[in-house]
Amino acid sequence: MHEMSIATALLEQLRRIAAEQQAARIVEVEVHCGVMQQVVPESLQLAFEAASTDTLAAGARLKIVETGLAARCRSCGEQFEAAIDNYLCPRCRTADVEIVAGRDIVLRSVVCEV
Amino acid sequence: MKINVVESVLKANDAVARENRRRLDAAGVVAVNLMSAPGSGKTLLLEKTIPALAAARCAVLVGDLQTTRDAERLAGIAAQVTQINTGTGCHLTATQVGEGLDSLDLRSIDFLFIENVGNMVCPAAFDLGEHRRAVLLSVPEGDDKVAKYPTLFQPADVILLTKVDLLGVLDYQRSKVYQDLSRINTRAPRIEVSSTTGQGLDRWFAWLKDQRRAQVSDS
Ligand SMILES: Nc1nc2c(ncn2[C@@H]2O[C@H](COP(=O)(O)OP(=O)(O)OP(=O)(O)O)[C@@H](O)[C@H]2O)c(=O)[nH]1
Ligand SMILES: [Mg+2]
Ligand SMILES: [Zn+2]
Repeated sequence: MHEMSIATALLEQLRRIAAEQQAARIVEVEVHCGVMQQVVPESLQLAFEAASTDTLAAGARLKIVETGLAARCRSCGEQFEAAIDNYLCPRCRTADVEIVAGRDIVLRSVVCEV
Repeated sequence: MKINVVESVLKANDAVARENRRRLDAAGVVAVNLMSAPGSGKTLLLEKTIPALAAARCAVLVGDLQTTRDAERLAGIAAQVTQINTGTGCHLTATQVGEGLDSLDLRSIDFLFIENVGNMVCPAAFDLGEHRRAVLLSVPEGDDKVAKYPTLFQPADVILLTKVDLLGVLDYQRSKVYQDLSRINTRAPRIEVSSTTGQGLDRWFAWLKDQRRAQVSDS
C-alpha cells in the first residue's frame, strides 16, 4: 500500500501548481505510473480520494495510465523493451540492466478552474 | 484550463534521498538497505554481522510498522541503533531515513544498515539514499518468490538466500530460484547463508567490506 505515499506526494505537487496558477479548484489530474511501481489503480484512487478531502483537489477525477518498461543493457548497451518479470538482453542474454522507463510515476497534466 | 506538466511524483523523495547519500558520502559511510518479506531473517543476520565487522563502527536504522523490538535486539550489538516506526506505512521513506541520520553520529561509523519494513513490494519503489540494496529470500518462503516479486529482485546489488540450514527440511529447489534470477538479475552476487549455523556468512562479510572499500576509494 505505497499508494498512500504516492497520493500524498501528488497532492503536495497539486497544491503547489494550484498556487502558481492561482487556481480555485482542480478538476482533473493525469498520472503515468511505470509498471515497476506496481501501483494498484483502485488503491491509488481510494488513497487520492482520502488524501484530497479538504484540499483544492477534492472530488477531482484521477486518470491513471500504466506505462511500459524500457531497459538498457549494462554489458552491451542495447536498449530494449523489458517485461516486469523478464530483463534479459536480447543481444547478450544477461539480465543486468538500467531501467530507462517504467520505474517512475509522472504527473502529466492538471485541469483546473481559476 | 489544462496545464501540461511532466514532473515525477517521487521527486521530493528522490531529492531527500540524494541529500541523504551526500551526507553519508561526506562521512565516508557505506549504507546498505536490507529488504525482504517479513521474517526472512534481516534482524538475526544483522545480529551476526555487526560483531564480525566491528560493532563500534556500525549503526542501524530499523523500520517497522510498530514496536521497538528489533531495535532492542540490536541495541546491545551495534554502537548506534534508531528505530523508525512507520505506523501504517509499509516502507521507509527518504525523509524518515534523513531524520534517522540526524540521530546518528555518522563520523564514527563505517557501515549503516537500514533494515526496511518487511514487505516485498512497497520498499523497492523508494530510494532512501542507500548505496547498496541487499535483498533476502528465506528458504521457508518458497522457491517461487523471485518470479512473483521481480521488482524487488531486479534492482538488488546482492541477493542473500537465507535460512539454508532448512534446505533439507522443506521442499525447496534452489535451481528454481536461480533459474528465475537468470531472467531478472544476473548482476547481483548470490550468497547462501544461515544465521543459525553461520554457513556462508564469511562471503557476506567479505562482500560488505568490498563495498566499503569501493566507497572509500570513490570519494
Ligand atoms: N532456521 C533458521 N531460522 C532463522 C534464520 N535466520 C532467522 N531465523 C529465524 O526467523 C525468524 C525471523 O527472523 P528475524 O531476524 O526476526 O526476521 P526479520 O526479517 O528481521 O523480520 P521482520 O523485521 O519482522 O520483517 C526468527 O525466529 C529467527 O530466529 C536462519 O538462518 N535459520
Ligand atoms: Mg527485523
Ligand atoms: Zn546486452
